[in-house]
Amino acid sequence: MPISKLGTSPPTDERTRALSIASCHRYWKTAGASGIDRLLLGLLIRSPTVELDALERRIAELRAQVRAAKAAADHATVRLLRAELRKTERAWDDALDPEPEPAQAPSLSVREQVHQALTLLGVPTAGKMIVAVNEAFFAGRVTAGQLTSLRRDEEKSFRTSPYARPYYLCAALTSELLSPARGLLAVSTWPAQIRIIGPLSPRTDFLTSAIRIAEHIARLIHAGEDASLAAYRLLTGMAQNIPGAVDGFDRAEPAQVIAAAGAELTIHRESDMHERGQAAKRAEKQLDQVTRLFGAGLKTARTA
Amino acid sequence: MNRLDTLRGPVAPLDHNARTIAALAVNPGCDRRALLDAAGVDKQKTAAYVGHPAPFGQSPFAITRAASFDALVKANGCAHLLRLLRETLGLSISEAAYADISDVGGNDSHQMRHTRTRALLKRAAAGGDGSCTLFDHPLLKLTVAGHEVYLEPSIIAFQIEGRFHVVEIKSFAVVDDQADAGQVAAAARQSAVYVHALRELFAAEGLDPERVSHDVVLVCPKDFANHPTATLLDVRQQLAALRRQLSRLTRIDRILEELPADFTFDLETQSPDEVGKAVGSVGARFAPECLSSCEMALFCRAEARGDGSTDLLGRTARDALGGLESIPAVLGLADESRPPSPEQLEIAEQLRYVRRLYTEAIA
Repeated sequence: MPISKLGTSPPTDERTRALSIASCHRYWKTAGASGIDRLLLGLLIRSPTVELDALERRIAELRAQVRAAKAAADHATVRLLRAELRKTERAWDDALDPEPEPAQAPSLSVREQVHQALTLLGVPTAGKMIVAVNEAFFAGRVTAGQLTSLRRDEEKSFRTSPYARPYYLCAALTSELLSPARGLLAVSTWPAQIRIIGPLSPRTDFLTSAIRIAEHIARLIHAGEDASLAAYRLLTGMAQNIPGAVDGFDRAEPAQVIAAAGAELTIHRESDMHERGQAAKRAEKQLDQVTRLFGAGLKTARTA
Repeated sequence: MNRLDTLRGPVAPLDHNARTIAALAVNPGCDRRALLDAAGVDKQKTAAYVGHPAPFGQSPFAITRAASFDALVKANGCAHLLRLLRETLGLSISEAAYADISDVGGNDSHQMRHTRTRALLKRAAAGGDGSCTLFDHPLLKLTVAGHEVYLEPSIIAFQIEGRFHVVEIKSFAVVDDQADAGQVAAAARQSAVYVHALRELFAAEGLDPERVSHDVVLVCPKDFANHPTATLLDVRQQLAALRRQLSRLTRIDRILEELPADFTFDLETQSPDEVGKAVGSVGARFAPECLSSCEMALFCRAEARGDGSTDLLGRTARDALGGLESIPAVLGLADESRPPSPEQLEIAEQLRYVRRLYTEAIA
């Protein structure tokens, strides 16, 4: 390993560097070239304080030289030295934050990512589907484990200061008892009847979300970019359970899925909306603002 | 607090499931198992406490696998299941209503869930407005050995044109339309328990029990993929066997009458020896088959070994020995070292004959 390639600092102030490098090099030679020794050596030479010290000295030196050149009215040298000074200062900046974060999509909180997925789907949805949609269309950094306490946290936040946030991730309510439906997440800004789950709603919501996903893929195609493989996989998996939406195990086509799901949806929609509407009216009358969003359980009535 | 609560001690009772009832029905003469199950005693813990822990139980991998396949079939409002039912039974598109009875408004007490199950099924049977098609996690009640137990089924009940079916989701694969015969038989036995319980519920509600079909829908993964497929399974035979066995089950009251009033299996107040004695004082009927289905099996086997009981030899040999209880007695009669009582004359003669054949053969 040639010594000159070990450091990245400019070739000034060689004395200290050379000293430390030479001693390390000697140690390395005597101790034998095991992997760990190499690692130690690399760490010592690349250690940020050593590098920063060297750069700071170089900057001070360059500034002095700029002043001297300016005094001598040597404009060409001043320009050259200033350029180098700026370069060294940039290197100093870089050395200060050694590993800048790689460029990524703006990081949204779990809450916002869930809201994003729910807004795409437009219906109360189980955690697993939210994760799948998030993975297929968005950043894909939500895991099922992160969703478990979300609803409870939102409820706590709503109870302490109601309507302080623009939206809350809340529960869907069962049509009969107006209690929170198991495992489903909804958005508080949706109309009340969307957040009610009647007997037919699991099916209609499934069909609606299949349509919404197909529409989103169609939008992406229309905009000139194709959806991810995961998105097609999600759509195909859903389409296989909708009569006439896909042929065998082929990849689902968004237009065909929208038509087939829409056809089945027209059969269920009327009675489902009727049931949901009735329950929403009841909820409006009977529940307070917290339970309207997070459901009224029967738990309070339980006796030990 | 009734007698059974005293037996169990101050812990929550364990639920019956189809597995335990199927196992109970396989060995209907075992008072010990009947009593422990009726009282909801944790047999696994008891067996470990008295020094005979059962190397027994389902593999955690199998449980996880079963749960994940179950979740897959039921995901998105039973999307897979609806497709399968439409394909195999011709369920009409409009019938898709689904009710989950795993809790009632956040309250998951047994009584609440059972009441709701009854209400929903009755409404569906009446065919009125808002009647459902699929019922997930219904909680059924069954009378076992004169004692009512709740049955926590992992099934879905569903109705098509007024006829109710049981859907059993199992994670063993059906490869080329063939599945493992043992697994299918076990599934059929368990489904029969559910069909039976559902029929009892219908009868109790004044409905025709025959509206519950004896055809069970068995949902399994198809071939080597994780794609569910459904087949119809006729459980008439298992149902008849189960009904016969359940009616023969010794009544718990009779067993309780013979026990002292302060008799208990309570693990907290009793020493292992005392619990062992208490368990031992209730008659068991050990058979080698118990080893694969009962947590107390090792305890019973050790006991049978200690007594030199003929139970160890298996049911066929025990029945062939016609009323002889212990192995030393059998050997004694065979080599004529023990005089036979008048009722043992016939069996003693047979044993001597067998012994003569045996000694000639090995001479």
